[in-house]
Amino acid sequence: MIWQDFKYALRLLAKKPGFTVLTTLVMATGIGLSVYMFSFFNTILFKDLAFKDGESLVVISGSLNGERDESEINWLDYREIQKNVQGLTEFGGYKNTNVIVSGRDGAIRYAAILAQANIFNLTRTKPLLGRTFNAADEHIGAEQVVVIGYQLWQSQFGGDKNVIEQSMRINGKNHRVIGVMPQGYLFPRNAEVWLPLRIDPSQLIREQATGIHGLAHLEKGVSMADFNRQLNVIMQRIEKQYPQTNSGISAFIASIPGSGGAGGEPVVYTMHIVAILILLLASINVGNLLLSRALERGKETAIRLALGAPRSRLITQLLWESTIICTIGGLIGFLVMAWGLEITEPIVTTFFAEPLAFWWDFSIDSYTIKLFIGILVSTILVTGLLPAWRTTGGDFNAVLRDGTRGALGKKAGRLNRLLVISEIFISMTVLIAAAVMVQSANEQTNKDIGAETGNTLVANVLLPETNYDSVEKKVQFVKQLQTQMQSYTGINEVMIMSSLPGHYSAEQKVMLEGKEYTKGSNNSYPRANYIATMPGDLAKLGVELRQGRYFSSSDNRDNKQTALVSESFAERHFASESAIGKRFRLVAKETGDVQWITIVGVVEHTIQGNRDGSAASVPSIFRPYTQAPRSRITIAIQLTADNSHVIKLLRKALQGIDSGLASYRIETYQASNDRITAPVVFISSLTALFAIAGVVLAASGIYGVMSNTINQRTQEIGVKRALGADERVIITEFLLSAVKLLLWGGIPGILAGGFMGFAMAQMFGTGMSALVTIIVVMVSIVVISVLISTYLPTKNALKLEPSQALHYE
Amino acid sequence: MTKTLIKLANIKKVFYTDEVETHALNDITLTINKGDYISISGPSGCGKSTLLSLLGLLDTSSEGLYQLAEHDVSNISKKERARIRNMEIGFIFQSFNLISDLDVEENIELPLTYRKDLSKDQRKAMVKEALEKVNMSHRSKHYPLQLSGGQQQRIAVARAIVGKPSIILADEPTGNLDSKNAEAVMELLDLLHREGATICMVTHDPRSAKRAVRNIDILDGQIVAEQNQHTSNDTAAA
Repeated sequence: MIWQDFKYALRLLAKKPGFTVLTTLVMATGIGLSVYMFSFFNTILFKDLAFKDGESLVVISGSLNGERDESEINWLDYREIQKNVQGLTEFGGYKNTNVIVSGRDGAIRYAAILAQANIFNLTRTKPLLGRTFNAADEHIGAEQVVVIGYQLWQSQFGGDKNVIEQSMRINGKNHRVIGVMPQGYLFPRNAEVWLPLRIDPSQLIREQATGIHGLAHLEKGVSMADFNRQLNVIMQRIEKQYPQTNSGISAFIASIPGSGGAGGEPVVYTMHIVAILILLLASINVGNLLLSRALERGKETAIRLALGAPRSRLITQLLWESTIICTIGGLIGFLVMAWGLEITEPIVTTFFAEPLAFWWDFSIDSYTIKLFIGILVSTILVTGLLPAWRTTGGDFNAVLRDGTRGALGKKAGRLNRLLVISEIFISMTVLIAAAVMVQSANEQTNKDIGAETGNTLVANVLLPETNYDSVEKKVQFVKQLQTQMQSYTGINEVMIMSSLPGHYSAEQKVMLEGKEYTKGSNNSYPRANYIATMPGDLAKLGVELRQGRYFSSSDNRDNKQTALVSESFAERHFASESAIGKRFRLVAKETGDVQWITIVGVVEHTIQGNRDGSAASVPSIFRPYTQAPRSRITIAIQLTADNSHVIKLLRKALQGIDSGLASYRIETYQASNDRITAPVVFISSLTALFAIAGVVLAASGIYGVMSNTINQRTQEIGVKRALGADERVIITEFLLSAVKLLLWGGIPGILAGGFMGFAMAQMFGTGMSALVTIIVVMVSIVVISVLISTYLPTKNALKLEPSQALHYE
Repeated sequence: MTKTLIKLANIKKVFYTDEVETHALNDITLTINKGDYISISGPSGCGKSTLLSLLGLLDTSSEGLYQLAEHDVSNISKKERARIRNMEIGFIFQSFNLISDLDVEENIELPLTYRKDLSKDQRKAMVKEALEKVNMSHRSKHYPLQLSGGQQQRIAVARAIVGKPSIILADEPTGNLDSKNAEAVMELLDLLHREGATICMVTHDPRSAKRAVRNIDILDGQIVAEQNQHTSNDTAAA
């Protein structure tokens, strides 16, 4: 019997190939897009790490003014947390770093971490060879040891099993290899080198203490939300005690994948909601098309009921159609989604200069399969049960007596109205949320970072402290490199900074002269990007001078300490007066002396790192490299020759100065900036794809439902025309009913979309006027779609003479 | 002295479907006077409903002249046709054609809402009068599906007469009713006729046809016979 019903459903679908193809593609779009979105976010943010007890492993990170990010927390705060919290066990801390490994292939930079001994135990992972750290390795002055990753072992040691006890040159110093971790082990994110974290126990002053990422296991029965409340109380207490260093600073725990999304919750939630709404939209459309077909076959169903068919049998029969459509559509969607996941990895790789986090494996996993099956079953039920129940639940006698007229008409009308309202609601919500996302990506991509990026190549060089342990050595290297590079043909200008405009920069806390920062004052230290630059380089990069002067060769170590500040810094701290001549000093001292630094110029605001929200408005302090040198430098080369030639020249120059140095992340200045906005561009492109799908699904769905509704009301139109209503009256009446539906679906849609849009606008710094414009434009699109979807079928129905309309079946 | 309300001269109606040409009405000439009570009969497909649609300006003829109250309405705009239907013609359909989302009062009021010259109070008063005439005041707040077929048709009659039209056109008004309800509806039409209404009715039912004063028979799109109950003179169509 089941086979018979299945064959009958297949025959019906084959009879209307257009209908079958359309509904199948709609379901493929809905299922494919939503499974992709869920799977994508699960991979990067929600999946448990594949270690024993991986689900309870959490990272303790810092937050500033309620904004969560992946920043480090102060070592002393970490100690306080460790002492006072309940619910966490097995603490271990680490710091991210980069190292230069000098080996048989020259100097190569690797992502590394400085780790406490316990970090390997947290992941319950044993080394493939040798051992991991012990407490003795953490002591200052202990022998330099290193644990290396599988890949590095293969590339630097050719997989030599006798690697243990061998020496390895890291940052110019010899380290004894004590262990090799198994293949694929890159904990906590993409590390290939693990060095012991050695913290000076005499670091008792908060201002001087290092930052750290904490790791621990969350005890069973303790929720993250509860724990974070507890953590917040502790951090508030610390803030009260140390307002100068801890004002606005708190901490939170998250899973290691989850910490990557910290602060991006509005986007993540919005994307999930959009995915669910798209799926719902597709289900409503297919459900409506199936309902229309079921209503068309109302007489057939009535005859079957009259002949004694049990209702359950008829429901099963009608469910087969939705089962076939959803299954075929779902499988098509699944295949496209699998392809989408496959191409995601190479795309996402381009967003980061570093290798991807080790758990970012974009492929079909058990979560994706379970989700797909769950969604498939739900869509079968949603699209099939309603039409089946609706058409088999009517007064079959009335249907047999009056043809298609009768009790079903009014109920179907109500259902159709509900469908249109749902589609209006969903489409407005999706469109507004997606448009805010796209607008924000657009704003971020086109944001003025404060410098010219054209025709410039950038590269990074790390100066190991071992060989460059003095200011003089660093300055000498930088000057030598700049002179050497500028002597080559094909190169216009060479700029050297610790961080170029647009790139992420280290921050510093400063004390402004004349301000009280004692315990009682409650003043917190201002933060700013802290950038070292060679004289003249800001001007060469197009960072305009607003006041005072740029650095000159006289701003050297022997003269007074000088700084340029961004106009955002000047406005924030010296709003009513000129910043020139004002002095400040650093909270964390670079040298033993307390030195006042004098502001000699104000330059335009530069964005350092993220282009969104408050991150984009962090002010900057520029120091002459000769006075405040750094180990990590970025070289910007304005070129007239082609890139590859200039890269060769750079390598030649470096080799000539110091063969132990490696240049890394060599790319165009524009590309390096694009990479920073690439994730948001990717997410917004995804959202735009969803929005386009949403518009197509909603517009076609609304047109389908409206056209179906108006079609069902053709007789009514005939009656009204017979009673004297002219075309204008009928069209106005139908348009007014559409406006009512627009109000019912649109007002909640504007509220929901506006709420999500507002949350994202806050996060990305999109202005209110842009948000209002987006809402108006998106609402207009939906309004126009609904009015066209009403006008055209009504106009079509009016093409019939009233006499034909009256007898329309 | 009888006054001519409708004059049809040499009316033809041709339907084109694909390449097939169907002559639904062929050279119909007919005069309807004010106060007439006419039945139009004939076998299925003979063109009687088409004729009623043309009379009611629900459709247009392919050829011929149609005068209503001495005005040529053969080639008027759709808007003007709608206005005339609203002001001059009342329809009663076989399947009642009440709108299920509207209650009885709203259904009856519907044609009045298309007029701009009536206030709400005037409309309510006219609806009340029509409801009383069909004896359905007690069902004014019911919805069509809550009424029997006979009751629904009485509401349809009330809707047809509420605007005080010049002519009532009824298409098989008893076709969906049992004999008792059919009798009640026909008595209502008789009453309206006695009160001066002009009625033109298409019917299959000989008993209903007999109630009319003029009986017109149609066959293959042509009037083949006309009988006046008062004069009992058979007139063969030309």
